[in-house]
Amino acid sequence: MLAMAVTNVFMFAAPLIGKYAIDVAHSRDLAAGIPALVALIERFDAQSPHIAHLALCAAASVLLTAVGGVFLYLRGRWTAIASEAICRRLREELYRRLHHVRATFFDGADTGDLVQRCSSDVETVRVFLSADVVEMGRAILLICTMLPILFWLNVELAWLSISLMPFLVVGAYVFFSKVKRVFEITDRSEGAMTTVLQENLTGIRVVRAFGRQDYEIGRFGEKIRAFRENYYWLSRLMGWYWGIADFFALMQIGLVLIAGGFMVIDGRISVGDFFAFTTYVSMAIWPVRQLGRVLTDSGKAVVALTRIDHILMTPEEDAAPAPGGRAEGAIRIDDLHFHYDEHEPVLRGISLSIAAGETIGLVGAPGSGKSSLIRALLGLYPYQGGSVTLDGREIDGIDRKWLRRQIGVVLQEPFLYSKSVAENLRVARADAPFDHLVAAAKDAAVHDAIIGFTDGYDALVGERGVTLSGGQRQRVALARALLKDPPVLVLDDSLSAVDTGTERQILSALERRRGRHTTIVIAHRLSTVTHADRILVLDRGRLVQSGTHDALAREIGPYRRLCEIQGELDAAIEADLKTGAATG
Amino acid sequence: MSHYDDDNYEDGIDERRAAARMQTHLWKRLFGYALNHKRDLWLLGGCSLVPAAVETLYPLITKGVLDDIEANGADANLWRWGFYYLVCTIALSLSVGGFIAGAGKIRCYVSHDIRAEAFRNLQRLSFSFYDYRPVGWLMARMTADCERLSNILAWGFMDFIWGSALMLGISAAMLAINWQLALVTLAVLPVLYWVSLKFRRHILTSAREVRRANSRITGAYNEAIMGVHTSKAFVREDANLAEFRGLTGRMFGASVKNMTLAAAYLPIVTTLASLAIGMVLLVGGIDVYHAPLTVGTLVAFMAYVRHFFDPVETLGHWFAEMQMAQASAERVLSLVDAKPAIADSEDVRRAMAAQRHAGERRHIATDGGPARVTSIELQNVGFGYDPAQPVLKGINLEARAGETIALVGPTGGGKSTLVNIICRFYEPTVGQVLINGIDYRKRSLAWLQSNLGMVMQSAHVFSGPILENIRYGRLDATDAETVEAARIAGAHDFITALPDGYQTDVGEGGGRLSAGQKQLISFARAILADPQVLVMDEATSSVDTETERFIQQGLARVLAGRIAFIIAHRLSTVRHATRIVVVHDGEIVESGNHDELIAAQGRYAALYRQQSLREATRGWAAVEARATAMTDPALGQET
Repeated sequence: MLAMAVTNVFMFAAPLIGKYAIDVAHSRDLAAGIPALVALIERFDAQSPHIAHLALCAAASVLLTAVGGVFLYLRGRWTAIASEAICRRLREELYRRLHHVRATFFDGADTGDLVQRCSSDVETVRVFLSADVVEMGRAILLICTMLPILFWLNVELAWLSISLMPFLVVGAYVFFSKVKRVFEITDRSEGAMTTVLQENLTGIRVVRAFGRQDYEIGRFGEKIRAFRENYYWLSRLMGWYWGIADFFALMQIGLVLIAGGFMVIDGRISVGDFFAFTTYVSMAIWPVRQLGRVLTDSGKAVVALTRIDHILMTPEEDAAPAPGGRAEGAIRIDDLHFHYDEHEPVLRGISLSIAAGETIGLVGAPGSGKSSLIRALLGLYPYQGGSVTLDGREIDGIDRKWLRRQIGVVLQEPFLYSKSVAENLRVARADAPFDHLVAAAKDAAVHDAIIGFTDGYDALVGERGVTLSGGQRQRVALARALLKDPPVLVLDDSLSAVDTGTERQILSALERRRGRHTTIVIAHRLSTVTHADRILVLDRGRLVQSGTHDALAREIGPYRRLCEIQGELDAAIEADLKTGAATG
Repeated sequence: MSHYDDDNYEDGIDERRAAARMQTHLWKRLFGYALNHKRDLWLLGGCSLVPAAVETLYPLITKGVLDDIEANGADANLWRWGFYYLVCTIALSLSVGGFIAGAGKIRCYVSHDIRAEAFRNLQRLSFSFYDYRPVGWLMARMTADCERLSNILAWGFMDFIWGSALMLGISAAMLAINWQLALVTLAVLPVLYWVSLKFRRHILTSAREVRRANSRITGAYNEAIMGVHTSKAFVREDANLAEFRGLTGRMFGASVKNMTLAAAYLPIVTTLASLAIGMVLLVGGIDVYHAPLTVGTLVAFMAYVRHFFDPVETLGHWFAEMQMAQASAERVLSLVDAKPAIADSEDVRRAMAAQRHAGERRHIATDGGPARVTSIELQNVGFGYDPAQPVLKGINLEARAGETIALVGPTGGGKSTLVNIICRFYEPTVGQVLINGIDYRKRSLAWLQSNLGMVMQSAHVFSGPILENIRYGRLDATDAETVEAARIAGAHDFITALPDGYQTDVGEGGGRLSAGQKQLISFARAILADPQVLVMDEATSSVDTETERFIQQGLARVLAGRIAFIIAHRLSTVRHATRIVVVHDGEIVESGNHDELIAAQGRYAALYRQQSLREATRGWAAVEARATAMTDPALGQET
């Protein structure tokens, strides 16, 4: 702010010096010059005082611009630092908040929209802070500095100099508020174009497989035409606006020019004053012309801030005391009720208990509540009735971070960070030595695949590095959970993309670890759960069967039905192999 | 939401090298797009000249007013000057409106044309082109790069005309009024231009650094949201935030540097300009004092000097921007220029032209060949991106109408490549593929591919209602036909269970559907297309066991009468195939029907055995007994 004010003072001094220089040259009378300079000249040099005055004026105007420039630079730099520092804090706070809000927050949320709030909206705020606020401040300061000088020089001409400015500001404000809708339409048509393009490119194989190239060209053509027309519409509106705004701005200068001319004739102002007036008005009119646009932009910044605020105001997960130490791994669930949406209960009164070190298989049709049970156990979602305890402690009364440190989970759709494989594994234990990583990877039967990558364990995961197959992702995620070596290990249908041979390898590695963790395995494939100490069958949010594989396979119920489907297949295989062996 | 980091993708175009010097041929070609709108371009050029002319005239008017007053005193006719001023202002305002609308038009029309042409070409390019270019890379070319280039073409063109005309006009006016003073002013010009260009380069380079940091930050947000469960489960909150602080720190540094550079630029230009003004003031002032120069001239000169530097700055900006955008230009043009590796040959195109003249005939395809596919035969087919590492070698395979060929074998063995060759998404590097006994390179690509139906493992669905997604298989299918296809594909039940049934919008990328549901929709699409050749590549891998069984029943009906190639891991899907082919390390190692292959006790039998539940649980000594009981066929009858 200070730099801004100082800059303005210097910028304004330059035309004033010009005025004095002209007046002196014009009137050939030193008395019209700057008193201080005149005094200076008279003291040192009497030979050609007029020329000395001119030279000093010229030097002073260069000097003033240079010093003003330094302040202009400082203004720019300080603005940059201030606005960037604010945005940096905003970004970090958003990021932190996204990590600490309850998982429920993300259920209805659209990832693209959230990312946009964190990136584009922050950018809008940044531009507003670094450009618009400065621009506005500058325009206002400019007018504030200019007005006293102008009124000091000549009151009538000063009034005339600012007569059209209010129209410019108000007109711009009204125009940009009205045009907002066109901006939105154009943005939307650009979005539609991008969507069609993205879908075409990601689905290019489908397009080809059905020979739909011409159809796609037509569809895309429609979207880019719509975007083109909207953009052109916007351009025409802007053309009208700037044309008219420039007309007013120039007429303001013209008024001063002609009226000033008459006043010079009347002798009410000097030629130097005339010069100062025309220069000032043409200096001030352009920032003022921007003011209306800036005002509308500030409206956008307010909208962006509200959108950001929506994230920042979301409550975080509540803190609770951490018990400390390592859990035993005994889980007890009593009459658990759980839902995401009040009208659709997901778990309706489940009771079960799992002893420390036990291996449990959890099966059930999709939507029966298996994954929800795990989410409740992890404290990702609150449950609405009943109780869940770990080692006899109610989990919604203990620190969630501690709770999650006790549970190693491999999610259905495992998420890997775009870091190296080794870093992804170390997410579980930051200080794990390399041979521990390898051991975990071997247990998860993914070691061979990893050393097959060019960079081995240092290979980057994701778009910038190697693309892992679904099975590989699951196995890396499993290795990560194993490396954590938690009291409770949960595999949520996490071997579905792994072929049967590899699955067998993994299961025997798990078998070696048996008793070390309480293990909960969710699976569709029966082969994954048959080895469990106990199998629990969920059906529409209720526990309907529980027992060993052996017992359940004989009981009439959903488990047996599942066995039958897979059993029939198995019987056929058995028969085939027999006949095959006989004929071969 | 896809974020894409350009600088970490190797596409053979180095930004720094591309920006090193001006490559006029690129800009000539791009300007060709603008030349397609000649009338608008002329209009824009005209509209750009008016402001230049008017800006040259304004100081002359000021000078006129002053000189008039000085010469005539109270008799000065200022109304005349007022009239000139008004005329100039009206002309300027009209042309400002004109060039804003005009440049906007050129800009959006040019980017439209480039997009349309690139998109048309993208639809023709072979899959080998896509293999090396991520979708994000292509998107960036088609969106941001197109905008950037058309922006340069429209506004750069306008500013170029305006700037050069203004500089010429001012120089001429200054030289005409007083050539000594003019030379004083012009002396500063080269220095200013040099400073301007240098600065712009630096500013744009640092702007790129800002963009890069920004795209990293966006990526981090994306990851934070997508991985929220994982981050929470592994208590990564603080560690992630610490890493993120590194990114915001980088962003802060880059942004401040960028803005500081920009902040330093303007003061330097104004100081240089004021140097020129100072000189004019000094030299001109002395002249006024000695009287050959009027005050009006001096004021006009000072105004000229101020305006003279506007175009220098603008032109410096555009030249720097053009240099920096050359990498984008190269990339965008590469999309337009890329030649499809697979296309119809000259002969085929001639045959198609002849056929168009002959009109539509039954049983005859658009290229004059028979419309029906009666057989597909692969003769000694080999394929490899790199000849030293063939993906496929010596493949011989024949399929006749009504036959189903199943391809099995380990992942990476070449099964998918093989079907891609059959579909002519790739062409064999060795050997040939015969359709009805004729090399398929002698037939039209469009004909073959319009008779294909393909269902892939990673099923793709388009945003929009499910009904339209299925109808994509045959655009003119009625609603009833579409629903029937869904029924056969086993998708009907889950669709009708959705709140809006067939009208349910599946969201971008089918985000609201499970992988299995997407596969069923994509299967229904292929059934609706009623293709002569059906290819299924792991088409039902994510479908649950019960639905899979349901599909099996419908499949027999679907496969009747056509040629089908099926890749599957679940052997229950393949056992009824006419012929099963085991592909291993790019070669066919076994071939025959299910019974024959089981009897042969080779790889297929081994694979098959591996699938057995008993096999899957062997090694679990503890459960061996249970498993036996379970897989015992007698079990079903026992109760």
